Amino acid sequence: MSERPTYIKFGEYTEHIPANIPAAVQQATGRFLGLRQMRVSEMPQWEELRQAASNIRLHTLENLDFYLEKLEQNVRAAGGQVHWAADAAQARATVLEIAKEHNVKLAVKVKSMATEEIGLNHALEAAGIQTYETDLGEFIIQLMGTGPSHIIVPAVHLKKEEIAELFTQKLGVEAPPDPVKLTAIARATLREKFLSAEMGVSGGNFLVAETGTLVIVTNEGNGRMCTTMPDLHVAVVGIDKVVPDWETLTVLLKLLARSATGQKLSTYTAFISGPRRAAGENGPKEFHLVLLDNGRSKILQDPVARETLKCIRCGCCLNVCPVYKNVGGFAYGWFISGPVGAIFSPQILGTEAARELPFASSLCGACADVCPVKIPIPKILLHLRRRVVEGDEFAPASAPLMVRAGAKLGTFALGVPWLYRFGTRLLPIFTAPFRKDGWMSSLPAPANLWTKVRPFPAFRANFRQWWAKRTK
Amino acid sequence: MTIPTSNPVLENLRRSLGRRPGDPVPPRPAILPPRPAAAPEAELDLLLSEITKLSGVTQRLTSAEIDSALSALLLAQEVKKATLWPTPGLAELKIETRLRQLGVEIVSPYADKQALGQCDLGVTEVSFALPETGTLALLSDGERPRAVSLVPRVHLAILRPSALRADLHQIFLEAKNHHYMIFITGPSRTADIELTVTLGVHGPKALYVWVME
Repeated sequence: MSERPTYIKFGEYTEHIPANIPAAVQQATGRFLGLRQMRVSEMPQWEELRQAASNIRLHTLENLDFYLEKLEQNVRAAGGQVHWAADAAQARATVLEIAKEHNVKLAVKVKSMATEEIGLNHALEAAGIQTYETDLGEFIIQLMGTGPSHIIVPAVHLKKEEIAELFTQKLGVEAPPDPVKLTAIARATLREKFLSAEMGVSGGNFLVAETGTLVIVTNEGNGRMCTTMPDLHVAVVGIDKVVPDWETLTVLLKLLARSATGQKLSTYTAFISGPRRAAGENGPKEFHLVLLDNGRSKILQDPVARETLKCIRCGCCLNVCPVYKNVGGFAYGWFISGPVGAIFSPQILGTEAARELPFASSLCGACADVCPVKIPIPKILLHLRRRVVEGDEFAPASAPLMVRAGAKLGTFALGVPWLYRFGTRLLPIFTAPFRKDGWMSSLPAPANLWTKVRPFPAFRANFRQWWAKRTK
Repeated sequence: MTIPTSNPVLENLRRSLGRRPGDPVPPRPAILPPRPAAAPEAELDLLLSEITKLSGVTQRLTSAEIDSALSALLLAQEVKKATLWPTPGLAELKIETRLRQLGVEIVSPYADKQALGQCDLGVTEVSFALPETGTLALLSDGERPRAVSLVPRVHLAILRPSALRADLHQIFLEAKNHHYMIFITGPSRTADIELTVTLGVHGPKALYVWVME
């Protein structure tokens, strides 16, 4: 799941969704949305906050080189080290080099989308470094050897009985199917790792340029453990996570937890500027920040699609999405799913590998309505659909020839009035053999993509004729 | 690692954005003003009610009541070993002496990780508190080690009403030049297994907040 996919088979996956996935995912999304709604109703200035957040994120992205330079300067001034990674391979190599310099045998990790994006765990394991995910859900997923089904609760599709069996098998302990006891087992297992790991690896929710500060938001305390107990802390963070200063951070922090889990603030928010200053203070002796580009600078070329990078990874768009709620996270084929995944992945992986994703939406717009930073997701989906089918200045068309030819034909036919009228007369004739009682239950390919799932209503009238009569 | 003389990431960025090194940056967008503070007593009530909602245990105490509150805590949480910040604020309240008198073994906050991991209780002060969200903010330095509020099973935070701030803005203004701060909003929690809320995953299972009057 964390490896860079060469082609994401969204359509094929959705034909065989295990029944437990939508059920579990809808339970989680329903819970989070309900709590979010409570938080929003307490905040009369919610819409103003969203607008301010959107303005701040866009301003930062439009001047990102300036803020990144400032950030680098201030991280160094705080005693941290900064590494730039143009792509995933460079980011992995940088982390491995730091780990080798410090003779790291055991690493503990905070849940991080950036390290999922670069497939860091596999690289560390391949280099002989034992690597533990320490977020409870991620830990379960790692033991299971699969990917996350939800951004906030990655193992929500698993029943407690399955987790108990997994713990019994993989950890060699007696594990009862009880969430409290299972959590206690994970606590004891990971506690040992926290205390003996030489390296803690994290992502980051925000980077404050003003003071070179890394901000990490967690609920379980594993983020604090990973960045407090080992002597070495390496953070891999996308270049899009920068905020100008602490004042602007107030806006984003007020939105993040409320949108994600419906908490007012997450349990722990750590503000880290460089390594520890005093020996007895705890915290790492060395702090390294790996700034990951991996295609983000390219996304910024496109003034429409660049708004994708405003995302603060709250997961709220997943929670409202009718498509996501029925297919779950696996369908999106990479570390990021839901509506934001459908616009992010095609831009990072290319519209060849992820060409199905912009179409994985009904364009209902619920995602844009709740997005705390007001990403116009439906607009970007349409923008990327056009890129897939017609190509644009950023990428050539990548849809199958049939689809492209069909789209061209459609554009032509719909653009010539007499041809359109002629077509509408022909349709009832062509469809006559398939009609029965006002429905068409099976159609030849490619129209059977629809009728495989549900019958298509037969055309009963001609709108133009009806309209002409009505206005008389 | 060497510092590269040219930076391809920044160069790519500038090409994409049509910017050159040193180009001016427009003023950043405006943000919303901070939440106005209510009366001090109301702010404190709000803070404590928010912490209680998050399963934290709150109490308002005078120094004469510390001993009885401590013995109740030690009993309820079966505390055998404790560690605490060596700060003047805690020394003034004689927390260490009181704990010893109640039969608790004191572990130095500078003990090694394994020894700290054996502690049942960690006692700290609070630098700032945010009423609206029930949040405690703790700065760290040589005298205020980070692990004390993290590794023990139970965290006891001693709060003075003067630590309250109306909004994030004021805390950030005062703390931004400090190199480490942690916000604590309730005890450690997860809902990762079947969405069942469980306290004490990796951090403390119980959070006690005592306001010293």
